Amino acid sequence: MDLKNQPVPEGSHLLEVDDLKMYFHTQDGVVKAVDGVSYNLDRGETLGVVGESGSGKSVTAMTIMGLIDMPPGKIEGGDVRYRGLSLFEMTEKQMQDIRGNDIAMVFQDPMTSLNPVYTIGRQLGEGLRLHRGYSKEQATKRAIELLDMVGIPNPEQRVKDYPHQFSGGMRQRVMIAMALACDPDILIADEPTTALDVTIQAQIIELMQEMQEKNGNAIIMITHDLGVVADVADKIMVMYAGRPVEFGTADEIFYNPVHPYTWGLVRSIPEALVDEKKPLTPIKGNPPSLVNVPKGCSFSPRCPYATDRCRNERPDTYTTETGHYSRCHYSMDPEFVAKNAPTNSRRRAEENGAADAVAGKGGEA
Amino acid sequence: MDKNTDMPIYAVDEKSGAQGGPVNQGSPEPETTAAAKPTRTLWSDAWGRLRKNKLAMIGAIWIIFIVIVALTCDLWAPQWLGSPTQIDSSQMSELSKLPPSAEHPFGTDALGRDVLCRVIYGSRISLSVGILATAISTVIGLVMGALAAYYGGIWDTIIMRLADIFLAFPYTLFVIVLIAVLGQSITNVFIAIGLLGWPSIARVFRSAILSVKENDYVDAARAMGASDARIVIRHIFPNSVASIVVYATMNIGGAILTESALSYLGMGVTPPTPSWGIMIEDGQTYLATQPWLMLFPGLAIITTVLAFTLLGDGLRDALDVKMKDA
Repeated sequence: MDLKNQPVPEGSHLLEVDDLKMYFHTQDGVVKAVDGVSYNLDRGETLGVVGESGSGKSVTAMTIMGLIDMPPGKIEGGDVRYRGLSLFEMTEKQMQDIRGNDIAMVFQDPMTSLNPVYTIGRQLGEGLRLHRGYSKEQATKRAIELLDMVGIPNPEQRVKDYPHQFSGGMRQRVMIAMALACDPDILIADEPTTALDVTIQAQIIELMQEMQEKNGNAIIMITHDLGVVADVADKIMVMYAGRPVEFGTADEIFYNPVHPYTWGLVRSIPEALVDEKKPLTPIKGNPPSLVNVPKGCSFSPRCPYATDRCRNERPDTYTTETGHYSRCHYSMDPEFVAKNAPTNSRRRAEENGAADAVAGKGGEA
Repeated sequence: MDKNTDMPIYAVDEKSGAQGGPVNQGSPEPETTAAAKPTRTLWSDAWGRLRKNKLAMIGAIWIIFIVIVALTCDLWAPQWLGSPTQIDSSQMSELSKLPPSAEHPFGTDALGRDVLCRVIYGSRISLSVGILATAISTVIGLVMGALAAYYGGIWDTIIMRLADIFLAFPYTLFVIVLIAVLGQSITNVFIAIGLLGWPSIARVFRSAILSVKENDYVDAARAMGASDARIVIRHIFPNSVASIVVYATMNIGGAILTESALSYLGMGVTPPTPSWGIMIEDGQTYLATQPWLMLFPGLAIITTVLAFTLLGDGLRDALDVKMKDA
């Protein structure tokens, strides 16, 4: 069964995550690692998932891939549909066919994500041999093409090398080539640039975009750095304590954020403005324990604008007509937003299209 | 920095080793690209390191020497030194307990047999016990360790508690009891030592797997759609087998010692088959007057066991990826 060649059924999206809840049952209690995440994704789109460590970004991705050990993990609700088919109803064998072939993943640390005992070529070819039944020779030939595609010089030679003979940036290129080997519909990149030098980060992001233009795959880019997704994401989901707190197009999140947590993230992006030196504004405090999420809004203990209502009453999802939603009691109050939203995000809105600097990386608006 | 660096996308990678990023976020330092180095495998790397280890090489050479002697002794030993088992009753009194000489380099034993010849033939028993018993323990240990580590939970508990029970028994006594039950023969010595050796191998392999299992490349393989069996065979096994190679090598020495102890106690091979343990047992009566009867088989045991230990030590260093020096 090759799902990729089947059309997406009418009325569904390529990937639909619907109120997904993944809890871990541990000795200390129930960890609500993912608590009601929903989004849709179509081919060619890029979704940025942003949040601090432990906000449930990676667990969401691992749940979609079916890579969470159960127990201790347990899906407490919701569904993930790929081309209209529920991934949770698939057998392990069917999931094995989907992994790597339809949905592939790039991991955070390229230094440890390659098996040290096999050549680069053999590892690149593994997916092709698993999913496409390639022979060893065919796989090696394709591996050389893939290495060339991701910009590794001298691929005929390098295909025989071992991972320890590659630098971190090159290994991440290899990881991307590996993930793209079977031409997957969806590429999940879990903090693909976090372990890399800043100079390499931009290249890796660019490479992924380039590959996306060629193959038309969707990308889910998981990161803790709003700056990383600034240029590449079509939609951005900001997660906090296992829940999405704000979701919108990249423009909406950057130029018109309405959730105080997003404001905090925007304020903590370093800006490369030359003549203006101003300190970064950190978000004070730490994320809550996922065993004991605060009663009201989970961000209320750290939110400078929190009221008694925030502390006691869990906010609903407030959605605008464009689909931009936020989980904050006051996000629909224009006065509150206008007064407290970071000036840099509003200034960006005003200078929209000008050569502003998002995350010190510059970029087209 | 402008987003659209017009450089070819691989250019900075090549230089990153020299320049580094403006901010190196504590990331692993970029290794220099290795295009100039000849392609080498982990095993050839390991061999390169092993070769530099003098003690390990001495051990290896000694083991190879003993193996060659054990394999070929039928071709030359009897012509030179006579039979290791036959007793020439007519000449027994003249040949008994002769001190080492040109004709009998290690002397002769109480029944007039050449000690060197018996030491040579004894190597066959010792080596085969060492290797076969270790092979049996290793196979059982690998399967048990893999099951315990990979499936965890109840499997882990059952297997590891079983291993604990095995380890709680006095080892030599357990082997003796097992041989008494199975019947005394050289095959049963293999089996007894082999059956009882698995718990420590299972433990070593289990912990090796548990640490390898945590590696990102195992997750990456699962994310590529590899099955459980494929992950164990292709990804976990090759990365944890180094510790087993080391442990098994040392275990051979241990098995040789156990066989010697069994033979010494009269539970091993049956006379007149020569075994180093039996020879020591035979010779102990004459320790004060004819020490060579005990000395030479004793030396054979010590050197061989030591050789296996040295080689095992050397292998551990050679196979340790972290010690990669080039």
